[in-house]
Amino acid sequence: MNFDWTTFAFQIVNVLVLLAILKHFLFRPVAGIIKARQEETDAAIARAEATRAEAQAAAAQAKAEAEANAAARRDILQKAQEEAAAERARLLDEARAEAARLLTSVQAQADDLVVKAEAKTLARALDLAETITARAFAAQPRPPTPAGYAARLVEAVAALPDDSRASMFGSGPLILVPAQPLSDADLAAVRAAFAAVPELAGQTPEVAIDPELIAGLDLRTPSGVVHNSLAHDLARMAEALDGDGPGG
Amino acid sequence: MNDTPLSLTTAFHIGPLPVTLPVVITWGIIVFLAALSFGLTRRLSMRPSWPQAVLEMIVTAIDGQIRATIPGDPARFRDLVGTLLLFVLIANWSSLVPGVEPPTAHLETDAALALVVFVATIFYGIRAQGLGGYLASFARPTWVMIPLNLIEQVTRTFSLMVRLFGNVMSGVFVIGILLSLAGLLAPIPLMALDLLTGAVQAYIFATLALVFIAAAVEDGTPDSKETRP
Repeated sequence: MNFDWTTFAFQIVNVLVLLAILKHFLFRPVAGIIKARQEETDAAIARAEATRAEAQAAAAQAKAEAEANAAARRDILQKAQEEAAAERARLLDEARAEAARLLTSVQAQADDLVVKAEAKTLARALDLAETITARAFAAQPRPPTPAGYAARLVEAVAALPDDSRASMFGSGPLILVPAQPLSDADLAAVRAAFAAVPELAGQTPEVAIDPELIAGLDLRTPSGVVHNSLAHDLARMAEALDGDGPGG
Repeated sequence: MNDTPLSLTTAFHIGPLPVTLPVVITWGIIVFLAALSFGLTRRLSMRPSWPQAVLEMIVTAIDGQIRATIPGDPARFRDLVGTLLLFVLIANWSSLVPGVEPPTAHLETDAALALVVFVATIFYGIRAQGLGGYLASFARPTWVMIPLNLIEQVTRTFSLMVRLFGNVMSGVFVIGILLSLAGLLAPIPLMALDLLTGAVQAYIFATLALVFIAAAVEDGTPDSKETRP
């Protein structure tokens, strides 16, 4: 076995040449493309990270904006509520003031109406009093003395139906009721007037004073009364006026 | 075919220099690898085709092996280790071509490869530690170890050479003997086994070269991390 130094030298050169060739045509390009892909992957990851960071920032910003909007909405609602409350209070105050003003006005009108009504009532009362007084005065005898009332009493008795008159005056004693005590002259005038009615002629009635009659002479028996007084006239007028209604 | 695989056949002469058959075959391997590399790396893209994917897988595997042995950027040693791996692998497998004898079955080729590794080890050691630091590394752990460390530098390189030569040459020998005795188809199983042996030897050669360089680069202690296959 011989060692060929020429072949040994050739093979050293060959290995070095192959080293250069593979370095230039194989390892460097392939490692380069691997590195480029790795860099692209890193860049993509970096972009993804940046995008994610941007998305997170955008989400945070959106959240902040949402919170700000919510706060603004709350502020607006609170402000609106405050304004509504203030407006409500203002309207209530105005309504109260208006109501008070209206109440005052109505009260004034009512007072005015009351005054007017009172004046009207008073006027009507005066008119009624005048009417009553005039009618009562017209119904009283002339002169309004016991003799005059005795004459009007006799006329009233004479106007009664015969059977009524007979039953009334045949039932018992007569009571003559004046408003004031009668003098003897007045009693004599009364007897004289009774003479015109057969059922009363010759009778001497008892006398019972009743101041409520105001004026006049009533004739009472156990079975009835013949009214002939100013009080009775006034009562009948009042009943008549009450039946006629206001202003009747 | 020669009478013995150990003998060299001169193919032609360049002037006074005889060009032997292993050299010619090596040139063929160089042309083959160069053409293959050029053809496959002309149109590299970010979306790799399957040939590009295979290339990237090979480079990534080499880088991974380097990174597992020597921390740091694997690009520093990728060209050398990758070239050794691919050349030894293709050279070992060239025996499949009829009439071709692997260049690694001849001692001159293995010696050239071992010398390249030896020089590269020294180069990387000096570059990493400086000349003084590299020389001082021979005195570790004590100065008494200097002769042994120096001898080890030579012996491990010699073993690297002889291991590759012995394995490949023996395969060629066995196949040649079987071929002469049993006929055409009988050596086929052994040729298949020779493929496996060639791949394993290529891996071992590249890995041991990497280990030697790592020992020179990392701590400067030229201790032998050689594993005996």
